[in-house]
Amino acid sequence: MQLVCIVCPNGCRLDVTREGEGVKVEGARCKRGVKFAEEETIRPMRTVTSSVKTTVKGWRVVPVRTDGEIPKDKIFHLMSLLKDVTVTTPLPIGSVVAENVFGSGVNVVTTADMEEENE
Amino acid sequence: MNIKTVCKKVKRKYGAEVFASEDERSVFVRGRAANWQQAVEIGKMFVKKGKHVVNDVLPQGFVPPKPMLPKVADDKLQGTHWDVAIVGGGISGCAVARELSRYDLKILLCEKHGDVAHGASGANDGMVHAGIDLAHQCLKLKYVVKGNAMYGEICDELGVDFVREGQYVVFTSRLIKLLAKSYLVRAKKHGIPGVSIIGKREISNVEPSVADFAVGALKIPSTGAVSPYKLTIAYAENAVQNGVTVSLDTAVLSMRREGDKICSVTTNRGTFTADCVINCAGVFADVVAEMAGDRYFSIHPRKGTDLLLDANAPNAPTHSVSLAPTLKTLGQNKNTKGGGIVKTVDGNLLLGPDAVETPLREDTSTTAQSVNGVFEKQRKASPKLSRSSVIAYFSGVRAPTYEEDFILERSEKVKNLIHVAGIQSPGLTAAPAFAPDVAALAVNYLRSCGKTVDANAGFCGKRQKPVCTKGMEEDSLQQLIERDADFGRVVCRCEQVTLGEIKQAINNPLGVATVDGVKRRVRAGMGRCQGGFCLPTVLKTIAEQKGVRLSQVCKGDEGSYVAAGEIKSGE
Amino acid sequence: MYFDIVVIGAGPAGLAAAIKASQRASVLLIEREAKPGGILKQCIHDGFGVVRFGEKLSGPEYAQRFINQLKDTDVKTAFFSFVTQIKRLEQGFSLHYVCKEGVKHVNCGKIILATGCRERTANAISVFGDRCSGVFTAGAAQNLVNVLGVLPGRRVVILGSGDIGLIMARRLTLEGAKVLGVYEAKPVPSGLSRNIHQCLHDFDIPLYLSRTVTRVFGRDRLSEVEISEVDENMRPIAGTQQRVQCDTLVLAVGLIPENEVAASLSLPMDGRTKGAIVDQTCQTMADGVYACGNALHVNDLVDYVSESGETAGFFASQERKPRKLVPINVVGGFGYAVPQMLDLNCDAKNVIIYFRTAQPEENKRVTLTVGDKTVFSKKYARLLPPEMERIAADLSDAQGEITLKMED
Repeated sequence: MQLVCIVCPNGCRLDVTREGEGVKVEGARCKRGVKFAEEETIRPMRTVTSSVKTTVKGWRVVPVRTDGEIPKDKIFHLMSLLKDVTVTTPLPIGSVVAENVFGSGVNVVTTADMEEENE
Repeated sequence: MNIKTVCKKVKRKYGAEVFASEDERSVFVRGRAANWQQAVEIGKMFVKKGKHVVNDVLPQGFVPPKPMLPKVADDKLQGTHWDVAIVGGGISGCAVARELSRYDLKILLCEKHGDVAHGASGANDGMVHAGIDLAHQCLKLKYVVKGNAMYGEICDELGVDFVREGQYVVFTSRLIKLLAKSYLVRAKKHGIPGVSIIGKREISNVEPSVADFAVGALKIPSTGAVSPYKLTIAYAENAVQNGVTVSLDTAVLSMRREGDKICSVTTNRGTFTADCVINCAGVFADVVAEMAGDRYFSIHPRKGTDLLLDANAPNAPTHSVSLAPTLKTLGQNKNTKGGGIVKTVDGNLLLGPDAVETPLREDTSTTAQSVNGVFEKQRKASPKLSRSSVIAYFSGVRAPTYEEDFILERSEKVKNLIHVAGIQSPGLTAAPAFAPDVAALAVNYLRSCGKTVDANAGFCGKRQKPVCTKGMEEDSLQQLIERDADFGRVVCRCEQVTLGEIKQAINNPLGVATVDGVKRRVRAGMGRCQGGFCLPTVLKTIAEQKGVRLSQVCKGDEGSYVAAGEIKSGE
Repeated sequence: MYFDIVVIGAGPAGLAAAIKASQRASVLLIEREAKPGGILKQCIHDGFGVVRFGEKLSGPEYAQRFINQLKDTDVKTAFFSFVTQIKRLEQGFSLHYVCKEGVKHVNCGKIILATGCRERTANAISVFGDRCSGVFTAGAAQNLVNVLGVLPGRRVVILGSGDIGLIMARRLTLEGAKVLGVYEAKPVPSGLSRNIHQCLHDFDIPLYLSRTVTRVFGRDRLSEVEISEVDENMRPIAGTQQRVQCDTLVLAVGLIPENEVAASLSLPMDGRTKGAIVDQTCQTMADGVYACGNALHVNDLVDYVSESGETAGFFASQERKPRKLVPINVVGGFGYAVPQMLDLNCDAKNVIIYFRTAQPEENKRVTLTVGDKTVFSKKYARLLPPEMERIAADLSDAQGEITLKMED
């Protein structure tokens, strides 16, 4: 299988072959690439960024992200969870707005400092 | 020529079977043509002195598209009565409305789109013509010369920018330069001031971009430039200030006649009555005439495309210039002045327009053919212009009759109907001059019916010029910002438009609160980024000022929403 | 008021420049918008800062790191402030800017232009048709979603496979829009490979190459676009038109350095980068005027935008000897290389050259030579136009012609 590494902007072209339980990775310029290829083949994971509603003045939406990776096939599940989140006070950057989403241990955190108005 | 002979000639030339008849006013032609171009050419063949042409020659199988109609339907106008109802909010309708507002009359102007100047009045090059291209006495010539002379004053009164920087028609051959002497004779005869022929050295000094090929030029100092939509808007706003009701999103759908008078007018917003109706319907002028059972002329729509250049376009001319026709092109393309490079009142250059006959009255789409064609043609007058300097292009549809002159008269057949039809270039130039005459036609008619028409005692012809911070003296700007900090907040970076100006544009007397409405009033989004940067702020400001949701804000007419809905709303 | 340095623009380049310059100079940072961060404020996706911080930050997070640093400096800031005039004085410059308090005048010794870039529009790439709503540049669409919190439309066609186009394809999909496809006029995608993978492949969004949008249809709102195949010169091929029903067209068709302010200073420009010509210190050909970030050339990584900001900030805050400029010659299939000049009278121990190829290249050797001495040489297995390369070389005491060469 051919993969493009998405860990960093280098975008290494990886050749991945299954070897029993594990995989063999060629073309990676770093160890993170090898790990990526293994995960991508067995259980692809993604960081998700989005935004949530807010009632804070000067903000219409607040940008958020997962503070770790979640399974790729859970992305839309997460998106529907985020519909129910509303930020009601000006939070500092990195505040958790959704904890331990679907028991993954991953939180959703804000990625902007809401001290000043955004618009 | 006898019309039967013309029919035979048509048959010989095109193999098309057409039938013609005539009365005192018009020649009526019907039949089938191979295509639209041919249908128009056949119509032209029946033009004869003193008569109009009603051309019903259509291509085989052609079905005219349904006119665009507003989405609203209510009874806002139901049962109302007006002294004068004006159909159409282009430059003609708005200028006539304003001139009529000098009288104590109940005046309604209906415009089917969400803003005035939606048609050709909003999509032309804004040149205030001198009239040098018109050879013979006609209404166009009468009013273009008169209108041109009025421009400084009317724009001053209405608070609209106007510049009179003249125009140069450049000669590329000595022979043409010699022939051009006839223009001097013409200018003198028609009262066009200041026209002269200048030599190679002078034109090269004035306009170095043509130095390589110019042998001289016709200098026409009275040519000017105005923003055509800003002037139309100003006329409409001043009319409103003086008591006129401008009803937008209001399309006239039909009229009922009793005897030789229109007794009621039906729109999508109800049926009203009016003592006098003025047809200023542009490309639909013949359709409106037909509603009143008075179609004695035809409009054959002619599309033109203009290209807008970046204000900082490199190697660009600094004046309005065009190339004089050569012997080869002389005589071709009689129905357009051939376009040119026009310096707009805002300092940008426009290239164009071209002229394409079309059966589609409302087709303002642009095509590769026209845009490329205009660029290649007009670049001949300025060969170093780069295509990458083109920041926008737009098309408008002219509304000529087959006679190619204005119709400004009270109908012979329908006593309370006045036609302002066939208003194509130089209609923008002519409007300030013909509008008072049209207003007088209406007033005289009303008086002839026994109505007392007094002057409007409260009339004020002066319209406050909207604030424009760009180019403002620093002291004045400082004072302005101290009064209202929004005038210190630049939102549109390309055209330097502030939040204060945008708010002012949103809260205009016509009640137009759209993205395009803002763009046309204060130029936010008109520059090289074409609104990429300022759109979100404009959108947000409209929503805030009008107390609506972002997804309710439209670019132009209803239905042209910008945002489909809020995210995370569960929609 | 006098400042040693005025920085125009508080995006990533301007922030880095101001912070760096403030170590040795008094600095005023002027920004049009409400707060610093520039376009990063609306780039809520992650992937920023891998080179600099070894982390994948979102745009606002990346900006915040610099904003926090800025707070610890003496840099004066002016937000909601728009520069209207720059004039060269006998010594330094005078600037006028408009802000909520009125018209301000400042004098300064040096100017750093960090004005970013702007997007190409539909007209710039010859899309014809109706004047309907629903046609957005990618940046405007991004602002609508990420700042205003509205969805531009529900059935979306994206033209341009640059990173912004790809990011928007994913973003709009996540928020419930159907992205019908990303169309690219070039035969190869323009964005980073990882974005093709995680923005398109993850969501089964098709990528169509060698195709462009030639016409838009719609009375009020966009209802259809016409797609045409293009030839090798990217000209539409007649007869290949197809209609796609959609309500939104997002144009991600390229960025151009914003140099409106620079234009008033008549700086010599590079036709390839569309930015000013600079030396290794980011100083333009006008003494005292520096340019950095995307105003200089459009970068694909913000890390390098910050780096060039720091270069400009650092050297602008130094005493400079009169310059002795020599060109850095470029030979071979480069799209461009920055800087274009070298100042022999200034530090050149660690000259950073950013370059792109004009076409995709394989197995090319890039060398930097001074006279007959090679100071840098590297074999690249693959070079792609969308992926900018960065090299660092010691060009101190350069004697003879400086040449950057690409060969087999």
